Amino acid sequence: MRHLTIIGIAITILFLLTAPWLLPRFLPDFWVSIMAEIMIWGLLASSANLLLGYTGLLSFGQSLYFGFGAYGVAFAITKLGLGIIPAFFVGVALATLIAAIAGFFAVRLTWHYFAIITIVFSLIFYLVAVGWKSLTGGDDGLSFTLPPVARFGDIELTLLDPTFQYFFILTIVSLCYLLQYMLLRSPLGVAFTAVRDNDKRAGLIGLNPYWIRLTSFVIAGFLAGVSGALFALFSRYASAQYMFWTVSGDAVIWTIVGGAGTLFGPIVGAALLIIIREELSMYWEHYLMLVGLIVILMVTFAPKGVVGSVKAWRADKRNAPATSNPDPTHEGASQ
Amino acid sequence: MSPAILSVRGLTKRFGGLIAVNNVDFDLPAGELHAIIGPNGAGKTTFFNLVSGFLKPTAGSVIFNDNDITGQPTHRISQLGIARTLQIKSVFSGLSVYDNVWIAAHSRKKFLHPFRAARSYRDTAEIVVRSLETVGLAELRNEIAGNLAYGDVALLEIAIAVAMQPSLLLLDEPVAGMSPEETHRTVNKIKELSRSMNILLIEHDVEAVFQIADRITVMTQGEVLCQGSAKQIASDPRVQEAYLGVPAEVIHA
Repeated sequence: MRHLTIIGIAITILFLLTAPWLLPRFLPDFWVSIMAEIMIWGLLASSANLLLGYTGLLSFGQSLYFGFGAYGVAFAITKLGLGIIPAFFVGVALATLIAAIAGFFAVRLTWHYFAIITIVFSLIFYLVAVGWKSLTGGDDGLSFTLPPVARFGDIELTLLDPTFQYFFILTIVSLCYLLQYMLLRSPLGVAFTAVRDNDKRAGLIGLNPYWIRLTSFVIAGFLAGVSGALFALFSRYASAQYMFWTVSGDAVIWTIVGGAGTLFGPIVGAALLIIIREELSMYWEHYLMLVGLIVILMVTFAPKGVVGSVKAWRADKRNAPATSNPDPTHEGASQ
Repeated sequence: MSPAILSVRGLTKRFGGLIAVNNVDFDLPAGELHAIIGPNGAGKTTFFNLVSGFLKPTAGSVIFNDNDITGQPTHRISQLGIARTLQIKSVFSGLSVYDNVWIAAHSRKKFLHPFRAARSYRDTAEIVVRSLETVGLAELRNEIAGNLAYGDVALLEIAIAVAMQPSLLLLDEPVAGMSPEETHRTVNKIKELSRSMNILLIEHDVEAVFQIADRITVMTQGEVLCQGSAKQIASDPRVQEAYLGVPAEVIHA
């Protein structure tokens, strides 16, 4: 079992590192871009997952921080004339700041009240962004041309090169996943799950649920901001339409299908549903009916999602032989 | 008499027209295992809720270890060293038994490190193992708390409280719903624990209370009826009246 895990991880890493050359051998070239897009949307989903799966907060507002990340990049490039890397940081910082402000109010509430206030926040900013056309371009968005990332003599690294763009996105998304991995196994991560399971008990052991929820909310805003900033660089524009709450809804659906409360569930869910969209939307305009059906079936029969179900199945397999053949060091076995 | 670790003056809680706790004065001397008994609706759990911060009092004050904790939020009171179990058992049902106790042992540290691995804290791990051994749950450490049997959940709740290394432990009906053997074992454990921390407990099982408590407070209708040793309480006619329906031989047993 342990070997299988290591082989699985090795194959995944190998695939991710060779995809820009491997994929075009079997599929049309644009699949490299779809891979990049899946990583970006998977990161947005993981921001919803940090709240829903680990902190117990259902947010329908992650598109807001995605939108601020994207607009931050667009403004920094078009209005301030910054390069890509500084512009990226401007977008992420802006999204994180807005998450801190919104979170200050939002995490006083929980459950449906929290879900509603996150929608309200994102609707307010959506309507402002649509209405303030001179600044945001409204629904048409704000397009820009990409300055190069770096120059080494004659060699120019630019995101216009799909292979470089792919690795740029892979690197940043991987770093965000490393950050989440470290976070979730840290004392703060355990505190997130404690507040998720029982905020009353969390208070009784000395944790302040408000600050823990706020911390999680700001980190989730940061992750959504990174994915928004990446998306702006990827699509070379920012648009109010990505601030709409249905984009947050997609993030929640990807999370639930992939497995809320698992590290890689959100990206698996995003990959699955985006591949379905890419394959089906050309032939069948009502493909969303199939997506809806998948979500209903998953929630009904596999509420742990794809990754959660696989994990549970493997835990069962590991435990089954252990109970029928007890460990001799186990105290109970000697009696 | 040693100085009081918990000192309550004029504590009152009104819910609309109902007075749940009425002008209660109460002192818990350090080192004592003290029990509060009384019929249903006497205000025992409300009293605990006022001390632990779940409810804000209408009037009165609560002093713990020279800190005025009247109306303070739960987590701050807990940080000062009061641990509590609940009448309806309450644990982190999605976490393993180990993690339930781990976060309790760790949460009194002011800073929750966001990157260092939780497993790398040796001092916390030692407290967790010791707490699990104290209540006898060491073998179930990897079990998810939500899968535990009721009696084990009650023990886990005690392990969580012990891991916080509190100076005052409030136990709300620790043996309710336990089998006779579980009750016997838990009562002995509580007695053991009382050597290292102050314990104040609410219990309906009068027999268990008379076995372990140094002193007993009887509450009825939100007020303190009387206070004294098991013997004094058992022979007090007011108590027998309050417990009308409880056969006298149970009290004298």
